[in-house]
Amino acid sequence: MKLERSDRAPLWAFLTPAVVLMVVFFVIPVLYVVGISFFKWNGIGPATFNNVKNFTLLFKDKAFTRSILNNVIWALVAGFIQVPLAMVMAIILSRKPKGWKFFRTVYFFPQVISGIALATLWRAVYNAETGLLNGLLNVIGRGDLACDWLGGIKTAFPAVLIYWIFYIGYYMVIMMADITTIDESYYEAATIDGATDFQQAIHITIPLIRRTSLLTCVTLASVMGLRQFEQVYMLTNGGPANTTSTIVLYMYKRLQDSNYGMAGASALILIIIGVVFIICIRKLFEGRSETMAPGKRRAGK
Amino acid sequence: MSETRVRPALQGKELILALLRWILIIFFAVYTLFPLIWLVISSLKTNFEFLAASPFTLPAVPQWQNYINALTVAGLGRMLLNSVIVGLAATVINVVVASMGAYCISRFRFRGRERIFTLFTAGILVPLNALMVPYFVIINKLGLYNTYGGMILLYCAIGIPMSTFLIRGLMDSIPMELEEAAYIDGCGFFGRFFHIILPLSRTGIVTAATFQFLTCWNEFVFANLIVSSEKLRTIQVGIRYFTNQFSTDYVSMYAAIVISIVPSIIGYVLFQEQIIAGMTSGAVKG
Amino acid sequence: MKKALALLLALTMIFALCACGQQAKSEEIIINFPSVWVGTDSKAPYMEQLIAQFNEENAGKIKVVVEEQTDYQAARDKLRTTITTGNTPDLCILDTTYDIKGYTESGKFMDLAPYLAEGWGKDFADGSYDAWSVDGKVCFLPFESAVFTPIYNTKIFADIGWDHFPATYDEFFQFCEDAKAKGYNAMGQMAGENAWSSMLWYSLIVEAIGGKDVYADGLKNPAFVQAAEVLKQMYDYTFDGALSAGAGDVNGHWLARDTAIYLNGPWWVANLYKEDNAVDGVLLADDCEVALNPTYTGGKGEGGLVTTVQAFLAAAEQSDPAKKEAVVKFIKYITDPQHVSELALSSGAMFFVKYEPSADTNLISQKLTGVANDAAYTIIHVNGAFPTAFSTEFPDAVQQLIGGQVDAQGFVDLLQTAIDNAA
Repeated sequence: MKLERSDRAPLWAFLTPAVVLMVVFFVIPVLYVVGISFFKWNGIGPATFNNVKNFTLLFKDKAFTRSILNNVIWALVAGFIQVPLAMVMAIILSRKPKGWKFFRTVYFFPQVISGIALATLWRAVYNAETGLLNGLLNVIGRGDLACDWLGGIKTAFPAVLIYWIFYIGYYMVIMMADITTIDESYYEAATIDGATDFQQAIHITIPLIRRTSLLTCVTLASVMGLRQFEQVYMLTNGGPANTTSTIVLYMYKRLQDSNYGMAGASALILIIIGVVFIICIRKLFEGRSETMAPGKRRAGK
Repeated sequence: MSETRVRPALQGKELILALLRWILIIFFAVYTLFPLIWLVISSLKTNFEFLAASPFTLPAVPQWQNYINALTVAGLGRMLLNSVIVGLAATVINVVVASMGAYCISRFRFRGRERIFTLFTAGILVPLNALMVPYFVIINKLGLYNTYGGMILLYCAIGIPMSTFLIRGLMDSIPMELEEAAYIDGCGFFGRFFHIILPLSRTGIVTAATFQFLTCWNEFVFANLIVSSEKLRTIQVGIRYFTNQFSTDYVSMYAAIVISIVPSIIGYVLFQEQIIAGMTSGAVKG
Repeated sequence: MKKALALLLALTMIFALCACGQQAKSEEIIINFPSVWVGTDSKAPYMEQLIAQFNEENAGKIKVVVEEQTDYQAARDKLRTTITTGNTPDLCILDTTYDIKGYTESGKFMDLAPYLAEGWGKDFADGSYDAWSVDGKVCFLPFESAVFTPIYNTKIFADIGWDHFPATYDEFFQFCEDAKAKGYNAMGQMAGENAWSSMLWYSLIVEAIGGKDVYADGLKNPAFVQAAEVLKQMYDYTFDGALSAGAGDVNGHWLARDTAIYLNGPWWVANLYKEDNAVDGVLLADDCEVALNPTYTGGKGEGGLVTTVQAFLAAAEQSDPAKKEAVVKFIKYITDPQHVSELALSSGAMFFVKYEPSADTNLISQKLTGVANDAAYTIIHVNGAFPTAFSTEFPDAVQQLIGGQVDAQGFVDLLQTAIDNAA
């Protein structure tokens, strides 16, 4: 909408609180972090200018490059496996099978449980001796596959990643809310034409949520993948041999060392990677031609 | 919403699809309920049982004492209240501020709009742990150290990028024609916001509010950083009352966690009906 | 529903406003003291009593306000942040991983040397605080000490067919073989979390090989490489999954009586006497014996002991002399030998303050004190001897060593690089 003269004052009045909060709590602190990333500072003595040495040290550190790789994998898996899974479940539940309200609520539970509990549980599941996973493998006669899941160089990262994929509740709820607003007449027409549920999902539901909630969820999930910290910290603390480390965890460890310069530099790199991700995802979703303008669907009646 | 489609009897491919559908539904239900059930069972063990035996056995005698411990020793009651106060206040303010901002960014073209939008989106990416030092300084300088106000302000602020992102996403999908029609009818800036945009973006707002509230409820680092008094401690600090450098009372901690998630679950179940109601009315208006 | 929400919101706002309005108004000197000796910590009950008593004796004049910090890592994060931003708490508990030299030189902490010189210093073990002074300033007052020496389960030893604890590391690995043959874990290792147990074992081996002056040249001493080999060997005799294990796993195995040797600080002794941990009514302590660090063939260590300063007391520099006196008064109160004796009895912990041990002290604690008194010399554990970056890197380095990504030399190199990057 074009901005009318009479709208100008209220517009700024509406925008100001959010912008002020953003400036005070994001712009200024982030500028501070960016600044610090060019210094050597232990938090107590004087800070000395360090040029780009913090960054060169970071990229020389295998733990850091591995963290970047892990985060990128995590973001891709979250955006392109976890969210599609969530979408499938959202489509299934929005067809209102028996007990759908119950399931919708239950799927959201893990989001409510505090991270400590989830981490201790999964540590127990993956435990080498008493773990549930090894127990199950023994039961089905594949005891030879049993191992120390979180301690193995090859198994630790997949183990941390895979259990996370199936916690889809949040994205599912967002997409379900969106799907429910789709005009029922589309489906009625399709049903009369003899389209199956599966065809309806492919030709009606997915195109209609693609640029709204699906885009939102893919972006959100990728960002969450990039910011991953708490679960890794509590499950493996980045080990073994940094194979599960993430950028935020790496940064946190530098903070523990009172190495504020390198912590700031890693935060900056994370933000840059994130911006690239967000831009790519937007391009990907806007790139292809649209069969139906997203705004149109509610005006069906 | 009435069921108008007629379902023919299932056969062949359809049957397989239906079966697959139920397998998925049940799988996810088991997968998501499992942590909760495990947590409740673990919270009823003794520490010796929990540590020395397999973590997937049942307790010999349910230890209800753990719950009494959690409630009395850690003083969880007060902490729950604090979490509710801080969480609700921060969520309400956050969502109001974010919807106002999202309205401007989503519906109007003005100079600096793109820049502001980029700023908000980039905000989601910031690893907040890196900002411990600046946040501590800001809250101190504002004289809000160790106050509800400080926590509410900080939580409200750190959730702004995410809430704006979620609400704006929904506002973008509302057809321009609706607002333009209202404008021609003489509806002003506020009128359009309150009567058209807000009701129609209710799902986005509720989603953002849910996310924001859970963030507040589960936040620990800053809850510990900017508050020192026991009277203001929130539930996440309470959960960690039983952890210690060298001896963690796991079972009491689990009891505390169970106590901490019960209100969230009840709140979510209750609130969920409101989401549905909001969505349905939105759809009819559209 | 809407009305209820509005009401709730209004109430919330009122609450928030009330909280903002609360201000201290009296003349009382407030000492804020973020403490980790709270919650489930073994020192918590007596400390609480002690502080309440102090506040009562000084009612109207001084009030110590404890900020409960139960989560150790969060407490560290907060302390670091408050100190960095110039809001150092009036009194804090720190350990060896903080930059003691830098903190002392920063001027943010109070120099206790003048007060110690007035005679108070006689209460402390000889040289205990001098070791941590910087240019004559004592900002970090060593308070709680710890000794690290193996404790073993005599019942398991008997079952394996051993009647004594190995005196050398060669014998130690013979024992390990025998234990393994009988299906026991010789000891518990953990490379997950902060790799605490492995860090302690590594320190013990480093002491046995390198002796008294092992830290003199930093990590250059060949003892660190040799000790890494020994540590790696030990992982063959611990439980499965040690590479990802945490403290809960090590303690769990020890409590489950499937592990022969346990290594941790004296604060753990209280758990040996807990009824909850008894099996068939027999306390774990009844089957426990205190041992000494074995010697290493060709090593320089002989009769040494690994210790640490578990906790320093450090106070913020005060501009107000009255407040300064109040803080010192409180520190003197905590470190009073009579109070420390009680604290030791109730918690099992050990201290740098010289005190008369209570007659009620349990047997294991008595033996640990004996070991501490008989030690020819002491060295600090490796985490305490090197900058924080060492302890942050240690778990990862152990994982790479055990996993075979690096050899013993590579293990030491990893630690050295971490230290260099942070320096």
